[in-house]
Amino acid sequence: MGISAKQWLTLIHEMPISQPIKIMNVCGGHERSITMSGIRGALPKNIELIPGPGCPVCICPEEDIYQAIQLSLHEDIILVAYGDMLRVPVNVKKSEARTLEQAKAAGARIKPIASPMDVIQIAEQNPDDTVVFFAAGFETTTAPTAAMIAQGVPDNLKILLSGRLTWPAIHVLLSSDSPGFNALVAPGHVATIMGPQEWAFVVEDFNLPAAVAGFSPESLLAATYSVIRQFESGKPFLDNCYPEVVKPTGNVGAQKMLSEVMTVVDATWRGVGTIPKSGFALSEPYRYLDVNEHFPGYHDDARKRAGEMPPGCDCAKVVMGEIYPNECRLYGKACVPRHPIGPCMVSDEGACRIWWAHTKR
Amino acid sequence: MCLGIPMQVKSIDQFVAQCEAKGVSREVNLFMLQGESVEVGDFVMVHVGYAIEKMTEQDARSSWELYDEMLATLSAGETDA
Repeated sequence: MGISAKQWLTLIHEMPISQPIKIMNVCGGHERSITMSGIRGALPKNIELIPGPGCPVCICPEEDIYQAIQLSLHEDIILVAYGDMLRVPVNVKKSEARTLEQAKAAGARIKPIASPMDVIQIAEQNPDDTVVFFAAGFETTTAPTAAMIAQGVPDNLKILLSGRLTWPAIHVLLSSDSPGFNALVAPGHVATIMGPQEWAFVVEDFNLPAAVAGFSPESLLAATYSVIRQFESGKPFLDNCYPEVVKPTGNVGAQKMLSEVMTVVDATWRGVGTIPKSGFALSEPYRYLDVNEHFPGYHDDARKRAGEMPPGCDCAKVVMGEIYPNECRLYGKACVPRHPIGPCMVSDEGACRIWWAHTKR
Repeated sequence: MCLGIPMQVKSIDQFVAQCEAKGVSREVNLFMLQGESVEVGDFVMVHVGYAIEKMTEQDARSSWELYDEMLATLSAGETDA
């Protein structure tokens, strides 16, 4: 048997901790486990766990969601998207559709999906219609999209790709004047696909502790213990506290599919701006699937300016770990899961939604 | 959309497997595990319907226990104003 969560906590409490340590996580699944299991409150007072840019729905560019809404309203298509994306609001006049859900209510044909396999099924069931897959997500959802494409898709399927890589956002934070954290717990399933080495820059370029974690309290506490110990010893290294799933190389087959089907490009993050080499685009041989090749004129670069969070919403600060969810002025007042203002309250992986659902009120 | 679910492979037809987790059955795509030998009885970590890695039975079972706890908390606690 491995070490239990209680034993990890004891080990952490027994460690001398010379100064406050702020540990960022980059995964909605991590934040959910941390919040639900009450780990945050069980740690020594000088250990802070900060939810970082771990919610793909939250940082999905406003202009991409706007494009999906407009396509669904003005073209004779079926638009499919992960369910979380349907309620994310864009910044438009109240008379216009603010979400894909509202576009659907106005008559657009929009279907929520849970897997790229659902996308193929819908395209095959509707051979006379063009089906557009609004494919937002981090590596864990973008790699299956790449696999779907590599396996072959029906002719009537087009893609609005909005995939993002997680590590560049951490690189941006660490390169800034005030990163706001001094240790990192890296996302277990991103590392499962891309390999843990993707996170080595935290140690090599910034001399900070890093540990890949799984989703159980035991694995998260093991990673927390590891980064504290690394910090105190002054000898950071990249630890893998989820070896049962994360191989040293990651999933090499999936990485090959990603690099064949997609290229890495500079990309916009909602509320953050452009992050170099943080997005996926279809590579040349697969460009024919790009929705922009078939329905030009819907991608509005000018919206990048408007693509901030809704007025009064602090999701951008929450996403980048600058404030905790309950420090937003709208949290739990104007913004609750049933009437979300910002994307962090919409998605199951949004820190605001997670905190609200688990009694941080 | 990012939650990984461990599932057990019950049958395989080319790149599509019937998999099961705690009595719930669904189709899982094995295309991302082409380099691995996946057999009936194996456990895989599934993301958005695609198996991303193999795992042991023990690890799969401990993940299921965690999800049980999470679901119990969710059904007891998720109310919004």
